[in-house]
Amino acid sequence: MRVATDIGGTFTDLVCFDYDKKNREVKNVEVSKSSTTPGEFEKGILNAISKIDLDLASIEFFVHGTTVVINAITERKGSKTALITTEGFRDVLEIARGTRPDLYNFNFKKEEPFVERYLRQEVKERINYLGEVITPLEESSVDEHIAMFIKEGVEAIAICFLHGYKNPIHEKKLAAYIRTKYPQFEIITSHEVTREWREYERTSSTVLSAYVKPIATKYLNNLTYHLQKLGYKNSLYIMQSNGGITTIEDVKANPITLIESGPASGMLGAVVLGRTIGKKNLLVLDIGGTTAKCSLIENGVPKIVTTYNIEKTKTQAGFPILTPVIDIVEIGNGGGSIAWLDDGGKMRVGPKSAAANPGPSSYGKGGLNFTTTDANVACNRIHKDYFLGGELKPDFDSLEKAALPLCEELGMSLEEIARGVIRVANSNMINALKSVSVNKGYDPRDFSLVVIGGGGPMHGAYLAEELQIPQVIVPLNAGVFSAFGMLMSDLRRDYIRTNVMDLNADYFSMVKHVFQEMENEAINAYERDAYDKDDIKFEHYLDLRYAGQEHSVKLRLSDLSNLKIDEIEKAFHQLHKKRYAFSLIETKIEIVNYHLVAEVIVNKPVIAKVSPKGILMKDALLASEKVDFDELGIHLSSFFDRDKLEPGMTASGPAIIVEQSTSTVIPPNHQFTIDAHANIIITKTE
Amino acid sequence: MGLNKFTSDIIQDSLISIGEAMFETIQRTSMSPIIYEALDYAVGITDGEGQLLAQGNGVITFLAAMSLVVEETLERFDEDNPLKEGDVVMANTPYAGGGTHLSDIALITPIFYKGERVAFTVNKAHWTDIGGTNPGSVSTVSTEIYQEGMHFPFIKVKEEGKLNQAVIKMLEANVRLPKSTLGDLFSGIAANDVGAERIIKLIEKYGLKAYKEAAKEFMEYGERISLKELQKIPNGVYENIGWIENDGFGNGPFPLKLKITISDEHMTCDFTGSHEQLKGPLNLSRTGLETAVRAAFKAITTPTLPANNGSFKHVRLICPENTIVSAKSPAPISVYYEVFLAAIDLLLKTLGPVVPEKLPAGHFRSVCVTYISGIHPVTNEFYVQAEPLSGGWGACAFHDGNRGQFSYAHGESYNIPAETRERKYGVVVKEYAFHNEGGGYGEFQGGNGQYLTFEILSDEAFLTGAFLGYSIPTWGLNEGKEGSYNYFTVIRTDGTEEQHNIVTNVRLNKGDKVKLVTATGGGYGNPLNRPIEKVKQDLKNGFITKEQALEHYNFS
Repeated sequence: MRVATDIGGTFTDLVCFDYDKKNREVKNVEVSKSSTTPGEFEKGILNAISKIDLDLASIEFFVHGTTVVINAITERKGSKTALITTEGFRDVLEIARGTRPDLYNFNFKKEEPFVERYLRQEVKERINYLGEVITPLEESSVDEHIAMFIKEGVEAIAICFLHGYKNPIHEKKLAAYIRTKYPQFEIITSHEVTREWREYERTSSTVLSAYVKPIATKYLNNLTYHLQKLGYKNSLYIMQSNGGITTIEDVKANPITLIESGPASGMLGAVVLGRTIGKKNLLVLDIGGTTAKCSLIENGVPKIVTTYNIEKTKTQAGFPILTPVIDIVEIGNGGGSIAWLDDGGKMRVGPKSAAANPGPSSYGKGGLNFTTTDANVACNRIHKDYFLGGELKPDFDSLEKAALPLCEELGMSLEEIARGVIRVANSNMINALKSVSVNKGYDPRDFSLVVIGGGGPMHGAYLAEELQIPQVIVPLNAGVFSAFGMLMSDLRRDYIRTNVMDLNADYFSMVKHVFQEMENEAINAYERDAYDKDDIKFEHYLDLRYAGQEHSVKLRLSDLSNLKIDEIEKAFHQLHKKRYAFSLIETKIEIVNYHLVAEVIVNKPVIAKVSPKGILMKDALLASEKVDFDELGIHLSSFFDRDKLEPGMTASGPAIIVEQSTSTVIPPNHQFTIDAHANIIITKTE
Repeated sequence: MGLNKFTSDIIQDSLISIGEAMFETIQRTSMSPIIYEALDYAVGITDGEGQLLAQGNGVITFLAAMSLVVEETLERFDEDNPLKEGDVVMANTPYAGGGTHLSDIALITPIFYKGERVAFTVNKAHWTDIGGTNPGSVSTVSTEIYQEGMHFPFIKVKEEGKLNQAVIKMLEANVRLPKSTLGDLFSGIAANDVGAERIIKLIEKYGLKAYKEAAKEFMEYGERISLKELQKIPNGVYENIGWIENDGFGNGPFPLKLKITISDEHMTCDFTGSHEQLKGPLNLSRTGLETAVRAAFKAITTPTLPANNGSFKHVRLICPENTIVSAKSPAPISVYYEVFLAAIDLLLKTLGPVVPEKLPAGHFRSVCVTYISGIHPVTNEFYVQAEPLSGGWGACAFHDGNRGQFSYAHGESYNIPAETRERKYGVVVKEYAFHNEGGGYGEFQGGNGQYLTFEILSDEAFLTGAFLGYSIPTWGLNEGKEGSYNYFTVIRTDGTEEQHNIVTNVRLNKGDKVKLVTATGGGYGNPLNRPIEKVKQDLKNGFITKEQALEHYNFS
């Protein structure tokens, strides 16, 4: 048995299944969902485990996606952290990039840095951009700063020196000195987090990784302890933001790699699904309780970016983190997102969410606000008997009470308000989907829309129609697809290094040398976790740009041992043209970053075809009731039980397909088919 | 209500998101770092008559430009020479239609639906070079606009879908970076096309009637909400004086005069009495002044809501011609941004005491731009390092002033990292840190200014810079104290120091250091009301010295 757990803002999901040892096909999938337990996240997992009486002794593989890192940052609940940096540069962290997105608000307040100035201390040392030591480091000069840190109760120390990406010798020396002499601190240096240039971004990343290090370590140790107590005997794996898994020890060394742990796995699951059913161009939309996330997958490969920005909004610059992350656009628009009226009387939905507690008003747990989920309940797109997997009946009194202020303010009925909320929520999601597709030069008509998460299948058909996406795919287990995706992941580590030089065939031995060094680093890291060198699969990428330009594109090198300058140049010109709409054939090309991906392929299952059991369509029919489809009218609609729908079945809308963790809405002008793998495929009726 | 409320809201939101898509198109396809990195550009959508519907800005200096430039286009292309489908108009006239300086080029595309003009898409971006005496087309010593580059007085660069090759060839022959300049031209045209296509789709989906209705409602919404906010501001007449310290030739200071009249219906800003236009390039056109006035109005009414023409229906500008803030041709104008900042600063200084909870004390009031050119010591290539510098902001009624923030004229602008700077320009950054040169004391403390010091490694290099605010400090508000000054110093290898403020081509030698200094912002509220814990924390953090704490906060 294999188990995956995914902690979201609202729910903690657990998926477990067996797979056939011969053909590796998945069988006997079981799903468990429990409320997320902020503060003690491991509790939610243990609840989900006990809910289905899972015997951990029989589990061979346990993988986990966690929000512990992102929560510690957004709630400012990390550890007291200090920074040691190069003389003259202690204020880099606070000056940041000097930017102000909130143009007309002169009362604008810049975000407080994660380390206050008195805890940002300098030492005399300097390395230049060529990596040469100009001023040597005197390790003991740090002693007086450390004495102060001890007095101030500092738990974690970040070390970031100028040009440490190029030559980390001083960072290494100082870290070794402090680790030996002052073992009570958690230490992290910038080159362990990233070897990309730009001192503010690197300092920010290092500081944030240090800030979450004690809390992440404690959490992961706790979880390991509890799982072992319940009988789990093997290693625990953790989902990273780059779409791969890794070991606990690896994560503890640089926990910031977990920043988008959960969402990444949903996107990865979609990639695997796409491969299985022969769909390589996908737009993936994952609607959870608090947010909607979307990502574009081109030709079967998710886009990995190395700069992530947390808390960047239309009014704030946010905090950059240099760590590989699947390129995801996230908006505050989930099932629990709250509907409200702005100063001008315009309806808004989100980003504030009713979250796990108290949840949408229809949960009847004291939620006073009207949310997207409530609107779907009011339109009967979520059936009262199958609400939250049938565990609970929606509280209609509470729902009406929550809608009342909106009804009064706008002089509208509950039904009108509910339709409006869904429309506004859809409009928000369309803008997010456009931002990853059309705004970047992609035509949605070339893609299929994969909708996952508790809310995705409810909105997918409408969004696809608006964007002219020909087909919507609702995967089997769509409601817990992130957890599912983790079980399809390999081990993955990314190494990125800035080393600016001209792209020139004369320097190819140097290129190989740099990659060799990076490979050795990867081999050492994997060997520490007892993986064999021969099991590692490498991919080599270069970030290239035109001399004089700032933006670069990432190019995969097909064969490092046989580099061909013409091919690389040609591929770069083409990629650049595609991404930025122009190429400069005669301009010199520069290498900016080296990017190595080191993967260890694990023995993972494949998505199996489902063989029909001979169930009849009418046996899957649960009810026929009126459903409100807004502009398309109110229609008597069939409610089907997803568990009883079999490959080959097809029907026209209006219909709702019900399963434990979500409902799929088929509007009147649409039809659905169940494919060989039991996915729901929705298309528009001709 | 004729149109379903939610449909109307969604059309309005869609227009805003179309604006965002246009903005992203330029960022993605432009070839000049000043556009795609510093975001020195703006995009807009107006209705068929030039009324602004949606706008996306990276900086605030183009706030009024988007609608004014379309209005001016409509005036210049009348019945005799009408706008046609497939036309694109190009304009960089500083003295009319939202003009700033020649480097900022506007591209205006009329959009037709079934033969009817239904909208304009428009953008304006700072091109790296537009010709003229100096690289970058900016000079502190120009005396006529002819020295500052090429001038395109509202011409059709594209006519009924066909590019005007004569213009393209002239551009190619007259600018220093023809390839990227043309690239930026095509990027701007493409962004307008992206917007046009989406607007047509929007109209097709909801119908022309719904589109027009939604646009009208959006305008009314902008007007309604800003009028409501205006009426919260006490009626009265408020006067003040500001200064331009120098015209680039050592003359000055020159006064800016302002009288603001607030009634329930209007905010009227009267700059009558301001000094006549200057010999040097520190001039602002009336149309640039319009942006300053609108920005100030927006800041005190609806700073966080999207801008449209409705929002500015109740603000008026009075100013005679040929002043320092309403310069006419052929006044040089390339350093307009310093005057723009002085105008905004004066507006806020005048309004600050009227709405003290909406505006902060004075900020460092200068873009603090420097240009350093030389030969790279390792690569032997010629370089020009051009950069603005961040500084201290004024404190406000709710919090201390920001530190390390670019001026009001900026927005989504980014500094140059030391690590990329050292490689690109071959200098060594010695210090990038806050100073405590004093000032800005108050219940809320003004944000510290900062130092940026670097050492020249080339055999020789040349320094040009314009830092206003070198003799008049940032101002305090509500009994808060004034802040400090902007200036820069050259520290020679023998230790001698030379202080500068506005200067062109100071010769530097290997080993010389340049130290740039930006001001500390003004304080807010009486310093003696500052809680002692905050004073202690500032001391602990080194934001103030022991002596300052004792003298101004009575703390020891």
